[in-house]
Amino acid sequence: MQLDHALRDREPADAPTTAATAARVRWRDHETFKTLFVNPWTYTTGAVVLALLNVALMAATGKAWGVTTSVTYWGAWIWRSLSGDPHAWPYFAEVKPAFNAPGFSFWNDAGSLTNLGMVVGALLAALGANQFRVKKLKSRRQIGAAMLGGLLMGFGARLAFGCNIGDLFSGLPALSLHGWVFLVSIFLGAAAGSKLLVRYFI
Amino acid sequence: MGLSVTERTLDCLGEACPVPLIRTQRALQELAIGDVLIVQIDHSCAMKNLPEWAEKAGHNFEIEEVGDGQWDIVIEKAC
Amino acid sequence: MAASGEPQRTLRRIPRTPVVKKERKNQLPYALAVVGLVVAIGYYLAAGLGAPKSAFVWIVGVALGLTLQRSRFCFTASMRDPVLTGGTNLTKAVVVGLAVSTVGFSALQLGAYFKAGQLADAMKLSSLDPVGLHTVVGGVLFGIGAVIAGGCASGTLMRMGEGFLQQWIVLPFFVAGSLIGAATWPLWKVALLVRTDSGVYLPKALGGFVPALLVQFGMLLALWVAADWWGKRGRT
Repeated sequence: MQLDHALRDREPADAPTTAATAARVRWRDHETFKTLFVNPWTYTTGAVVLALLNVALMAATGKAWGVTTSVTYWGAWIWRSLSGDPHAWPYFAEVKPAFNAPGFSFWNDAGSLTNLGMVVGALLAALGANQFRVKKLKSRRQIGAAMLGGLLMGFGARLAFGCNIGDLFSGLPALSLHGWVFLVSIFLGAAAGSKLLVRYFI
Repeated sequence: MGLSVTERTLDCLGEACPVPLIRTQRALQELAIGDVLIVQIDHSCAMKNLPEWAEKAGHNFEIEEVGDGQWDIVIEKAC
Repeated sequence: MAASGEPQRTLRRIPRTPVVKKERKNQLPYALAVVGLVVAIGYYLAAGLGAPKSAFVWIVGVALGLTLQRSRFCFTASMRDPVLTGGTNLTKAVVVGLAVSTVGFSALQLGAYFKAGQLADAMKLSSLDPVGLHTVVGGVLFGIGAVIAGGCASGTLMRMGEGFLQQWIVLPFFVAGSLIGAATWPLWKVALLVRTDSGVYLPKALGGFVPALLVQFGMLLALWVAADWWGKRGRT
């Protein structure tokens, strides 16, 4: 298929100048190395691996993958460092009592660990494929889009008690109705967001 | 004699999904069959979803890695 | 470089002005440095804090990020593309992921159920959360935000690691939005009629695991078929 052919990296590395670079170049050109580390994986492969990792997480910790709860904790800890008192908020007492457990902190919060891990893992993957690059902003509109989008996501995730991971990728397979309701809702939101994006942000 | 094929370059570096794809769709609408559009991207998602769309739409395309995390998606309008 | 068994095809190269290739920097040393960092943090968790389970969770997190990046996975695109471009490859992949997760989670839940004999024990492994009007409102807002920001929750973290400065801006606002959501809980709890006991566990609601799994897989299959059909229709 044309797409498969195009996605497979065809470029041999540049002509080596020394024996050492020649050795390194040959190893990098190896098909297996490329398949694992350079060429993109298929979406289905990614989906299956993500699912298996999620199940592993549930098996080991009793809780599935989630992103936004820990993001809320981060905000609360920052607020605390600015002399706020999030521990007194009704939200944490009623919805996330774990936050008030003695000794609870970043390093023993599974969600914080997976969040940080995701950033580092993505960095590692890009570097391993020699495809890492800092992408600077192209236009001012992107700042507005980032700010508005971030706020909406953070707030929306609290209302829905989760995000595309916690509600959709974890909640739905765990046979909870809120996952299905979230699926329909996020789909509608994405459709509306696409219209807004095309109208105002391109 | 003269070039009958137009070649246009679209600089989409630094743009977030799905902007490169939308701009590509619009640009291709303005070209004639046989013309070539070169889309410069640095978004890893785009290096997959642009060719996928091009294939679905029936065009010929190639992906060239031109730098670290930078690609040229070369699309030849075919229909 | 075709795989064995594939007919040899010579694809005519599209004529274009020759590309000016950029100088490539060898990123492998940096990759190895990051591996070192991963190991160091894992060691700190397992040995320094005496929490090997945390070390496992950390490695899973790294693996998740790696997988997301390597497969260019994007939940946002899976929801957005059917509308924007008519493409559903990601949507179908997400459905496959949901199906595989369902099998895994159900296995764990059934294990807990058979061990204890109580559905309540299975429910503990179910990520049960309240469901109601607030879920819909929250989901819609989240979907809008994800498309505008150029990535959802997992997408934001992944793209931060990939070097997208835009996502580094998204994060603080994501944090702020979450905090505002938590702070205003007493308001929207009432306004959106939230009941913290409103979670619906399908095996409980539908009378057992068998009907629940039948419904679940039935709906996932229907979704996949619909996505497949949608993706095949017409060309954009």
